Amino acid sequence: MMHLTDEDMIGQIYGEGENTAAVERHLASCGACAYNFAELKRDLLEMDRIEAPARDTHYGERVWASIESLLPLYAPGYIAQKRRWWSWNGGLAKGLSYVAAGALLAACAFYAGRVFEHNQQQPEAKNEVHVAPQPKQPIVVVVLDDHLDRSERFLVELKHADFDSAAMASPMRDEAKSLLAANRVCRKNAAQSDDLELTTALDHLDSLLAQAVNEPGGLNADNISKLQDQMNAEGVLFEVRVLRSRIARRAGTATNPAEGGTI
Amino acid sequence: MDKNDHAAIQAVLAGDKDAYGPLVVRHSQSLFRVAYRITGNEADAEDVVQEAFLRGYRKLEGFESRANFGTWIYRIAVHCALDRVKRRRGHETSRVGESNDPEQDQLQVADRAAGPERILLSGEISSIHQAALNTLTATERTAFVLRHMEDCTTAEIGAALGIEPNAAKQAVFRAVQKLRRRLAPLRVAT
Repeated sequence: MMHLTDEDMIGQIYGEGENTAAVERHLASCGACAYNFAELKRDLLEMDRIEAPARDTHYGERVWASIESLLPLYAPGYIAQKRRWWSWNGGLAKGLSYVAAGALLAACAFYAGRVFEHNQQQPEAKNEVHVAPQPKQPIVVVVLDDHLDRSERFLVELKHADFDSAAMASPMRDEAKSLLAANRVCRKNAAQSDDLELTTALDHLDSLLAQAVNEPGGLNADNISKLQDQMNAEGVLFEVRVLRSRIARRAGTATNPAEGGTI
Repeated sequence: MDKNDHAAIQAVLAGDKDAYGPLVVRHSQSLFRVAYRITGNEADAEDVVQEAFLRGYRKLEGFESRANFGTWIYRIAVHCALDRVKRRRGHETSRVGESNDPEQDQLQVADRAAGPERILLSGEISSIHQAALNTLTATERTAFVLRHMEDCTTAEIGAALGIEPNAAKQAVFRAVQKLRRRLAPLRVAT
């Protein structure tokens, strides 16, 4: 056997090689391949060091809390309808004979109808049935103005946050989490509208909020200081205020101030 | 399929929205893990988990009762994560250059949010490997993560990515080769 290729060795490591017994025999007899194989194994073992950060035991509950309000209800009769469908489908073979008979009957009825129509010579007005498009039900509407208002208040609070007050850290983090969810809806909408100014500001806000929510150790003095530095460096508060005034101007000229997004 | 999952799905489809809650709680951790490994970013991974459960809920009526909900929602999460990585690649300009200079490679490793002290403390090596993973295409990265870290077979990877098993195998192969090339200079340096 010739020397093993990388593909052979990768396949061997993952137990999906085409001829594992032959590869094993070759590795036992060929020092060069055995060395390369050991190197490859070591490299892949190194990649195991990438570990996902641990989530606490309440993580699943938080996920549920964040999506619960976005879920529409299934109609209560859905299962019954589905069962009826499958019950009918289960008797498909039996039903086929009825279908054949039904088709024959329909053909006869069609022919009879044509003859009748021809005899009557009275064309009926054709009424086209227009099916009104079902409005897509918005599940959540986030009003951008309200969002920016809340964000501005949060940023002001952050700007003046007391480093030594642990009591205010938890509500701030909760507020940041709530704002983060709303901000992502607004970002998605802004990205579709090609509004660069809005998108950039919401991106900066998103980054800041995500950090506030995910800072290891919570919002302690160091983290708050870091967030304040970032907020000042990116001018997030200024951007939010500019956007608010822009929206306020627009609201003065338009009747629809809502500029939020729908999920 | 897990009887609890099955019962919960039946309840949801019968109009009990809250029955979806236990499914979310039960599978969130595993979804976060795979989402993080594919996106390499905590915030993105959390978004992916939420998006996957939302998509899953909306597609629940098409869910085959014989299938396993865990596997099904896992696939949805893999798709969401893959989409997110592709979108991100489209937006961001890569910080990693094409140089093969080992010194430069070491300098290029950077955690986006953390300062140097934290990098040092919370796993510099992990950052290096994460940076190496970031050089892969979205498909290669996902295929590698699923194969190497999630122990999926190439058939499962192919199904999750919507590609042929052989294409999945090739993606894993290319990923391993690229990672080794990327990490080789660092190994020599250490």
